Amino acid sequence: MRDYEKYIRYETFPNPWCPGCGDGIILKATAMAFAELELDPNDIIVVAGIGCSGRMPTFFKTNTLHTTHGRALTYATGIKLAQPDKLVVVISGDGDALAIGGNHLIHAARRNIGINLILINNGVYGMTGGQASPLTPQLFHTGTTPYGNIEPRFDTADLLIAAKVSFVARETVNRPFPLKEVIKKALLHKGFSVVEAISNCHVNLGSKNKMKTALSMTKWIAGKTVTKAEYAEMSDEEKRQKYPVGVLKQEDERLEYTEIYHNVVRAAVEEQRRAEGRAQ
Amino acid sequence: MSKRRALQGNAIVVKAAIAAGCDFYAGYPISPSSEITVYMSRELPKLERVFIQMEDEIASIGACIGASLAGRKAMTATSGPGFSLMQENLGFAVMAEVPLVIVNAMRGGPSTGLPTKPSQADMMQMRWGTHGDHPIIALYPAFPEEIYYETIRAFNLAEKFWNPVILILDECIAKAHEDIEIPEIEDIYSDRMKKHDIRDLNIYERHFGESPPRIDFFQGYPIHIDGLEHDAHGWPTSSPEVTDRMQRLRMEKITNALDEIIEYKEYFMEDAEIMVYSFGISARSALAAVHLAREQGIKAGLFQALTIWPFPDDVLRKRFERIKKVLTVEMNMGQMVFEVERVACRGEEKRALLRASGVPFTPDEVLAKIEEF
Amino acid sequence: MPLAESKFLASQDELEVNQEALERRQKKEPSKTKHKITLRPFYCKGCGLCVDICPTGTLLLQTNKRTRWGVTAIKAAPDYCIGCKMCEHRCPDFAIFIDYEADEEQERALEARKDHE
Repeated sequence: MRDYEKYIRYETFPNPWCPGCGDGIILKATAMAFAELELDPNDIIVVAGIGCSGRMPTFFKTNTLHTTHGRALTYATGIKLAQPDKLVVVISGDGDALAIGGNHLIHAARRNIGINLILINNGVYGMTGGQASPLTPQLFHTGTTPYGNIEPRFDTADLLIAAKVSFVARETVNRPFPLKEVIKKALLHKGFSVVEAISNCHVNLGSKNKMKTALSMTKWIAGKTVTKAEYAEMSDEEKRQKYPVGVLKQEDERLEYTEIYHNVVRAAVEEQRRAEGRAQ
Repeated sequence: MSKRRALQGNAIVVKAAIAAGCDFYAGYPISPSSEITVYMSRELPKLERVFIQMEDEIASIGACIGASLAGRKAMTATSGPGFSLMQENLGFAVMAEVPLVIVNAMRGGPSTGLPTKPSQADMMQMRWGTHGDHPIIALYPAFPEEIYYETIRAFNLAEKFWNPVILILDECIAKAHEDIEIPEIEDIYSDRMKKHDIRDLNIYERHFGESPPRIDFFQGYPIHIDGLEHDAHGWPTSSPEVTDRMQRLRMEKITNALDEIIEYKEYFMEDAEIMVYSFGISARSALAAVHLAREQGIKAGLFQALTIWPFPDDVLRKRFERIKKVLTVEMNMGQMVFEVERVACRGEEKRALLRASGVPFTPDEVLAKIEEF
Repeated sequence: MPLAESKFLASQDELEVNQEALERRQKKEPSKTKHKITLRPFYCKGCGLCVDICPTGTLLLQTNKRTRWGVTAIKAAPDYCIGCKMCEHRCPDFAIFIDYEADEEQERALEARKDHE
């Protein structure tokens, strides 16, 4: 038995994802990251919202929670505040993180709460059959953009950096080793960390855009992947077409939210003691 | 030292919640319950408990559910517009069997409505606001001491039945400063300290009528909590047999314990010929009206519901064996009256005093309606 | 269990990924150190990601009427495996392991559980 299998709930296998779906690769990379960091599964909770990514907690043999659409970060915030020394991992898809859940994303980043978000960007709402998401590339055909998507996509990293996130990284499912490494870095980061994992939904997005196999879509993703250095040299027009990978921002010195709250509590308790002393 | 003082309704809720052991509050300001959020922000840190102001009501109830699943006694407070936003997550709390207290300080609706005026028009929403078949408990104090007792009771019921409990306040009662003597309460219920024998991670399996043996996260068991319909382990399923069983288990844990959950107060009911059914601020007007009626020799009595949901079917049915005239008094265009009239179905004379203008009934208005019988 | 036709891989693509794997293998020699390839065909969905990433073309896709997806990966040339574990890292379904200490009993239990719905 491999060390990472300790974090897998085989009772709920086989997983329901399509053959070649990147979700399974991300599941494995996360389990491998847990194993290499030698984490106690009892101290981990994996929270997800709705969608194909939302099925992921079912397969982790840790504390797991499957919440309502877009709200995983709010439940996770409550959990982290209730038990600040535990590892809280949130797994979100396009909609959970950037559409219905967009508001909670920017607030979690702003608060720098110690939650590790793995944002699975496959450019579509896969579970419901393939409708456009805020991460669908422009001009793509989807269920709700049959004439081509007219909306530009978010650049998740830009959005998060503007919201003052303290750790954001991006990788793709073509690169399982770097993906695992960056997840490890994110798990070790104390504040709010986001790993955006570019994934392939060949069945519900690729098939509508001339990429109906896992391999053809992963090749497309590989063509869109660039290093940070290459990205920096590009024009704005070129940048819109590409996904730079690696750690895009990392701020280790910022205090995490529950640490700051702990200071508030200490001050309040102190003030209360002084007030009671005065009253006597 | 006397514990008698003037306190705002909202402040009484905060005091009682803290006494009940509430150690997590996540909220969003909204009239007329903002004071609850403000006072909690001040008091909880002093006790080393957790407070956070979230970005909206959906996030507030989400954080409360997360904290409850991680072992805390969680509460949030809101009003109509916020309560409407909370419905989806409220349904999650019912489905996953999560203890939770939600304070709903009712104001004029619909929509933005009358933020600074009372109304009682969300009664059906509290029962059926969230989608799907679901049980709910809703408590409705009217007097200051009742606010204190019912808040404690809300926490106890939430913990005992692993279900969200709604604590309802009228806008004018939430905001008014009234005289109260803070009681000493010893009876605080908590199931989570008990050791459960969780075999095979069966966190939802139990006999019909019982509460689940559910444990919280981080107890050393890799449990799964899900909003999808699930089996005894909490793993998702769509099997018809399992679904039917789980639906009935969740419903019957409440319907089987009505004796414990249903509470009410009766005034002049022993020999009453006319029963007034009311709650909240309307009950206070009705109580004064019943006093006035008695002075005139009219045999009126007041049934003040403290538990609004589940509806006290059996209790009222017994009253209707003897009492054949019933008046429902509520500040809306007709909600609880339908429940009352459903139970009063054997030829009783039924009347209703209804108004939704943001102004409570005066005792004279209620008396005039009683005199119509 | 009814055998559904694997509609996510047209046979043309299967052939293409196999073809590319064979071409890669032709440029290599069998590995000096031998490695053990453990497969779980009951989890394999025949997606071909492992076949595609294997640098030495050790794996191929093959029709397999005993599984729901109708196609699984096979260790066509196990001697060529260099133990890089890229296939194991990339498999979304926990269906392939390199140099794995398999527990016979566990593997049987996993296979039996797979059909239980």
